[in-house]
Amino acid sequence: MSGLTALTIVAVIVFGTMGFALLGVRRVQMSPEQYIVGGRSFGTIFLWVLQAGEIYTTFTFLGIAGFAYSLGAPALYVMAYGTIAYIIAYFLAPAVWQVGKDNNLLTNADFFETRYNSRALGVGVALLSFAMVVPYVTIQLSGLQILLRIAGYGAYNATAAVIVGFLVMALFVFTAGLRGTAWASVVKDILVLAAVLFAGMAIPVHFFGSLRGLFDDLVAAHPQMLTLPPAGVFHGTLWYASTVLLSALGFYVGPQTFNSVYSARSGDALRRNAVFLPFYQILASLMVFAGLSAMLITPGLTGPAVDQSFLLVVQRYFPSWILGIVAGAGALAALVPASALLLAASSVIVKNVLGDAFGVATSDRSRTLLTRIVVIVVAVLALGIWMIAQKTVVELLLLYYNGITQFFPGVVAAFVWKRATAWGVGLGILTGVGVAVPMAALNILPFGMNAGFVALLVNVVVLVLVSLVTKRAGA
Amino acid sequence: MAGKCAAMRPAPPSGAFLLRTLLAATPIFALSFGVLLVNRIEPRLFGFPFLFCWIAAWVLLTPAFLWTIGRVEKRW
Repeated sequence: MSGLTALTIVAVIVFGTMGFALLGVRRVQMSPEQYIVGGRSFGTIFLWVLQAGEIYTTFTFLGIAGFAYSLGAPALYVMAYGTIAYIIAYFLAPAVWQVGKDNNLLTNADFFETRYNSRALGVGVALLSFAMVVPYVTIQLSGLQILLRIAGYGAYNATAAVIVGFLVMALFVFTAGLRGTAWASVVKDILVLAAVLFAGMAIPVHFFGSLRGLFDDLVAAHPQMLTLPPAGVFHGTLWYASTVLLSALGFYVGPQTFNSVYSARSGDALRRNAVFLPFYQILASLMVFAGLSAMLITPGLTGPAVDQSFLLVVQRYFPSWILGIVAGAGALAALVPASALLLAASSVIVKNVLGDAFGVATSDRSRTLLTRIVVIVVAVLALGIWMIAQKTVVELLLLYYNGITQFFPGVVAAFVWKRATAWGVGLGILTGVGVAVPMAALNILPFGMNAGFVALLVNVVVLVLVSLVTKRAGA
Repeated sequence: MAGKCAAMRPAPPSGAFLLRTLLAATPIFALSFGVLLVNRIEPRLFGFPFLFCWIAAWVLLTPAFLWTIGRVEKRW
């Protein structure tokens, strides 16, 4: 029974990884600082592993291949925007870290509250972050379901397995906190590397003799997929350039990224990390090769099914143990980032909303306990949303992808413009999100560029104008 | 560690500032609007289309640029 082999391997990989990570944290005393930001003690290597672990999600694993399967070259934007994001991070992350260290910050909302001296802004950022992150968790569940369904050779629907796997992962976060996510990332990064090398190298070699052979076939049959479409059309050159820049700006301002930035031991650990992270980005090219191979091998998939393209190739043409390892790596690519997201969503709610705004659980002990409990509550909430409203989830995701970038001007202004006020930043974020989400939902493409740019521009204009007419609180 | 007061240290001399800006801006441009100049298949290198090579090359070169910025800032 081949489905059983593959699923057993997936289960061993997922539960084995959590077990390994629990061993890594068994001696750690949990305070909120330890639980949420790893005690600000991670050096360059551990930080690299953690960031690679939370950045490379099921989107990297399934989405890039699917994107390449249906469109070809535009999928390369992932490699480019990640790399540019690390250039920005080289300058921005150490500055954010320093503020976090000097003021004992735990969340992204803390950062806004401290720099702009406004509790209201902190609470607002916390609520918006929560609203953005929960749908992002649910998309990982959909990715997990695809993986488990294919690993079971379509014999079952996998919903129950997703629920069990995700709840176990929530219990894991309950126990281990951010340090646990970092240890789980060690296994995840190694397995994903192996799976991606297999998908991007072994599949093309198996079917086309070599990567050169793959591209010879593509040049002959689908040359239009090997360059970007012209400027002005969706996925064209201008779309590409603008999306690359915009995604790069949003890359380091997500709530979960603040946790990992704070977890660094020093500013230089973050700088060294930024130097080395682009190397990981090269893996995305292998997923592009996997997607292009799948397009030649099993053409004809459309819609959401393209995300399954290379997995279906593995399922059809390779032994079940290989499918098990690949799907296991993919399951970790869903669960490990989800664990970081759960932690980020729970910490903003407990620290900034329940704690700061309502005065609940303000001692270290009760705050750690409450954060742990809220991790479970958020996990159940995400599962509930995922099960009853899958379609809405896709629309909610627009909020994440297009909304997250709107935090960027407020973060940068905190360092470069003393005059910026809480009102300016808050209203800037709100109008930015208010412009970006509907434009994205309607697929508007101003001048052939990504609509998020217009929203970002509006955000900056509002930030500047409102700041000029309001006073900085307490300054 | 050296990061203690590094984050908000005063601006370095303007020559170094220009060099850092240039080092940061070059890969950013090459990977974004720069692709408009190289959006083609030929010449293929090692079988890969030129656009693919361009992007991969800049991803691999970026660590060298960032490392050099660190050197200019005397961080390592």
